[in-house]
Amino acid sequence: MMSGTPIQNIPVAARVTPASIYVAPSLAAARDALSEYGAAGAPLAGGTWIMRSPIRHEPLKTHYVAIGRIAELSAIRISGNAVEIGAAVTHAALAAALADLPEFAGLVAAAGRSANPAIRAMATIGGNLSTSDFAAADCVPALLCLDADVEIADRNGRERISLAHFLEVRSKLAAGRIVTRIIVPRAECRTAHIRLPLRRSGDYPVAIVSLSVSVDAANRVRVARIAVGSVEPSARRWPPLEDALLGRPLDAAEAARIAAELTGEFIGRDSVDAPAWYRVSVLPGLVRRAVIAARGS
Amino acid sequence: MGFNLTVNGDRLSSAAEPATPLVDVLREEMHLTGAKPVCREGFCGACMVLVDGEPTPSCLLPAALADGREIQTVEGLAPLGQLNRIQAALEVSDAVQCGMCFPGMVVSLTHLLTTRPDATSDDIRAALTGNICRCTGYERIVEATLLALATA
Repeated sequence: MMSGTPIQNIPVAARVTPASIYVAPSLAAARDALSEYGAAGAPLAGGTWIMRSPIRHEPLKTHYVAIGRIAELSAIRISGNAVEIGAAVTHAALAAALADLPEFAGLVAAAGRSANPAIRAMATIGGNLSTSDFAAADCVPALLCLDADVEIADRNGRERISLAHFLEVRSKLAAGRIVTRIIVPRAECRTAHIRLPLRRSGDYPVAIVSLSVSVDAANRVRVARIAVGSVEPSARRWPPLEDALLGRPLDAAEAARIAAELTGEFIGRDSVDAPAWYRVSVLPGLVRRAVIAARGS
Repeated sequence: MGFNLTVNGDRLSSAAEPATPLVDVLREEMHLTGAKPVCREGFCGACMVLVDGEPTPSCLLPAALADGREIQTVEGLAPLGQLNRIQAALEVSDAVQCGMCFPGMVVSLTHLLTTRPDATSDDIRAALTGNICRCTGYERIVEATLLALATA
């Protein structure tokens, strides 16, 4: 009922494989340790995905570098042009920090309504973006429609790439590399994040629609960015729908009607909690709700 | 490599493997069995403890990251057998059913009463999103929490 993985109590001996956990005091120390460990190591932030490895029958890495106590990675910087989010910022901290910025209503909803309060206080934004096997990550579609960039660092320096590109390469990143920041440009726009969990809250969403839109004085769409999460293995933008909305009045029913004509480009993922067809079929309804929410934001 | 932590006011040490979930250290080394390892996914809340005052599913906290931190389990919420406010209200309201989820419920609601004295029914339900009662006894739990808030 919760996530599609069976609930089971695994004996301790099978759960605990020897693994070292190095609590890095600084980003430089973390980069050095990750570089030294190579493919045998990985960053550990909130731990909410890695600690469930035994449930997924996945072995733990031999070494982890805990990054949650690195001040640089736990900071959020808000300027007139951009918001910079450290990779170890938790969902709860992110939602609280951006609560008063209307253009980030969608991201606040994504970070502030996912999972449950205790998980939101542990799970980090960097982990949410980096976990390539987690299709239902809320912050990924929310950040995709905000045109976010991701900064990656290793012992030799830093690199900044678009989130969309990061999603393509994240499972193949060289050992020793770590997400350090997410940079979100500020713009005049209305945003919304609509998720459909099986229960009202606490579950992974069956499908997610995130929306960022700006309109002209006549309420016609000037810019639209729409991202879909949890339907396919990785979240992605919905360009045909974005293009179709340009120049039209921002109208929820009309947007849903157009979305219904364009759902064919999604191939839903099958899982225990929801069949593929269902994930796709709910998209027009989520688009309608996203437009209503954005109009009210 | 061992680690040290404070549990219900006692300074303790453990030689557990660093990735051992805190709930297993509490139960198997320290014999504090109030926290229950049920889903081991952070969904059900039966293993909830306070870590530095914050509700935390102890199934997801590796022992190494509990080093130097202050842990409060349900056993530490009623020192000398004196029930705290939410425990007393749950008893008076006859809200306890099978008891599997209750240690976690008590931990989450103890935190809520401390941090949100103005909490509404909706706030209580939101705070309990990560605590699942399989007896579906939520209504009495919410009512008991409102009673505890009213008797502050």
